Amino acid sequence: MGSYFSAERFINVFPKIIACLSVNFHIVFWSMLLGTILAIFVAVLRLKEIPVVKQILSVYISFMRGTPLLVQMMIAFYGIPLVLGELFMGLFGINLNRIEPAVFVEIAIILNEGAFLGEIFRGAITSVPAIQTEAGYSIGMTGAQTFFRIVLLQAFKVALPHYGVDFVGVFQNTSLVFTLGVVDVLGKAKTLGAATGHTLEGYIAATIIYISFSLLLKGSFLLVEKRLIGGRAYVV
Amino acid sequence: MSFNINSFTDALKSAFLYAPVTLKLTVITFVVAIILGTVIATVRHYRVPVLSQILAVFVTVYMGLPMMVALLLYNLLFMTFYNDVAGALHISVPISDVNPIYIGFFALILGTSCSLSEAVRGAFRGIDKTQYEAGYSIGLTRFQTLIRVIFPQMVPILLPGLQNSLIGLLKASNLVSAIAVTEIMTGALLPSLLYYSYLESYLAAALVYWIIGALIEVLAHFAEKNSGRYLSRAIA
Amino acid sequence: MIELTGVKKSFGKQEVLKDVSIKVNDGEVVVILGPSGSGKTTFLRCINFLEKAEKGRMVFGDKILDLGHVKKKDILYIRRHSAFVFQNYGLFAHKTALQNVMEGLTQVQKKSRKEAQQIAEDALSWVGLLDKKDFYPAQLSGGQQQRVGIARAVALKPDVILFDEPTSALDPELVGETLEVIKKVAKMGITMVVVTHEMSFAEDVADRVIFMDGGVVVEEGKPSEIFYKPKEERTRQFLSRIIPVDQYVI
Repeated sequence: MGSYFSAERFINVFPKIIACLSVNFHIVFWSMLLGTILAIFVAVLRLKEIPVVKQILSVYISFMRGTPLLVQMMIAFYGIPLVLGELFMGLFGINLNRIEPAVFVEIAIILNEGAFLGEIFRGAITSVPAIQTEAGYSIGMTGAQTFFRIVLLQAFKVALPHYGVDFVGVFQNTSLVFTLGVVDVLGKAKTLGAATGHTLEGYIAATIIYISFSLLLKGSFLLVEKRLIGGRAYVV
Repeated sequence: MSFNINSFTDALKSAFLYAPVTLKLTVITFVVAIILGTVIATVRHYRVPVLSQILAVFVTVYMGLPMMVALLLYNLLFMTFYNDVAGALHISVPISDVNPIYIGFFALILGTSCSLSEAVRGAFRGIDKTQYEAGYSIGLTRFQTLIRVIFPQMVPILLPGLQNSLIGLLKASNLVSAIAVTEIMTGALLPSLLYYSYLESYLAAALVYWIIGALIEVLAHFAEKNSGRYLSRAIA
Repeated sequence: MIELTGVKKSFGKQEVLKDVSIKVNDGEVVVILGPSGSGKTTFLRCINFLEKAEKGRMVFGDKILDLGHVKKKDILYIRRHSAFVFQNYGLFAHKTALQNVMEGLTQVQKKSRKEAQQIAEDALSWVGLLDKKDFYPAQLSGGQQQRVGIARAVALKPDVILFDEPTSALDPELVGETLEVIKKVAKMGITMVVVTHEMSFAEDVADRVIFMDGGVVVEEGKPSEIFYKPKEERTRQFLSRIIPVDQYVI
């Protein structure tokens, strides 16, 4: 294996590759932030069961659930400039064809999360027993007070474990962004490989980085969960 | 650049032509991974010494590895070492004749087995201890109790999650496009290589995935309705 | 005949069974009484190896076992010659009443489906539930589930049936029907060991009563002796606390 893998090359490429982790986290941060907000809207709108909106949302969720993220990313990349290109050029003077591909990746993940997290939130909200709402009303709280102070708070604890899994999933999904030329961890490993003719060290570095940070994220969520669920056990 | 309906229909035809490749990847992986995942979960549930500890570490670590990274890594390892290994084993098939789909199967099966093993472990936890004891008390062996009492009761617990896993797998199979396997997405792209009609191709691919995903949902709904009859509380 | 001597069992640091010995003759109905935490259920479960005792000796028919070192084969032998009725019924959730009774007949005793079905239907009719044979456990009341559990045990024609608080999970109005069926089993002359809190039932059916407390057998004797002339202070205390409450409930 010596001729294929060299520790020296590995030590050489590792810092260069891990430096690109910031690109992955940048994507994760914006996608999760905006995706979570979108998801809350989706969940609440679905629960309200407004005619037309309900059908549109179920088609949207079905599409996001039924098609691969890679395809969605590509559609965002090629489709958004085509549909909105002239509008943006005219209104803001922005040429969408010049925008960084990472933005389209983020748009795809945000839309994807709106659907997936939306369903998680909806499930969590419906899992809170009706008697909790009734109890809120019974002590004279308004509908909004009951929803935010009683229902949403309890739903948050139900949703948290799923949210954690989803978050780690989004981090892992950033491994697809190199296909649009974004130089993230895996993208860097590939470009360094192409430049030097030795790819194995870079891939192994990427493997180690992805595994460690996935486990780290997962562990952090478990820790938060333990604290909160410990709190719940105390209350009940 | 604008949307061309002819390019879209060409892409759609081509995508359907390669749908069997995606289906093959999805279905075979699913069946093998259910078996492997159940074996892993069973070994861990019964705490088989040494083996269960090894599997626990392996599953935890492996779940941190994104499918895309795994695919690229295995593909590279295959390219690098095939000639040596084939030479040692006196296999005379040249590397160019080996279908990269096998690497896809390997990566998909390994990843899916790990995640399904976690689901099966969850289902084990959902079964009351008395069900085992009832089996033992009438003289069933441990193996008989597992096969005749525990596994059948796990089916309705697992089904809703399995539907998600199957659709997840359908979408994950899309990633083998990165190692030069022609499946639905790359199939849809074939006509676009002539006309640069990428958006049409990706939309066509999305549509085909969406249709297959919807079919899975219909089938799963049917299976769920029939598997959990014994859980119904309705008294005739 | 079943004889257990010097049975010891701990959960962690807590010694649940300190040194328990009992003997059950063929055809005898033995009732084990005692406060909760006395180890009576654990002891019963040790007989069927649902718990593993650390020490002790078991004589089961012509088998002699060292409970500290039992072979899988011997465990299976004991289980195949005994039956267990669970506190929370322990019916197979995915099988109908009939399938529950048939399972052991076809899978353990290797009877043909036809023969097993005949035996199972007889057993269900014997507990008065033939009309419910195609119902799943979730569709039956607690009392009905427990009667299926008893039918399942009886159908196997075991050398002994072990009852673990068979009525304590039931609603009060369902206790009676279940006790009636257990009395019917007792009258058949099957060897029985019953852990229960039902005093009047114990007085009715028991040939012998064993009082356990703190992981040891405190006292044993005929029901008339234990209930009306207990020798030990602990037995007296237990009965004085239980009997009025029991009568109050009924």
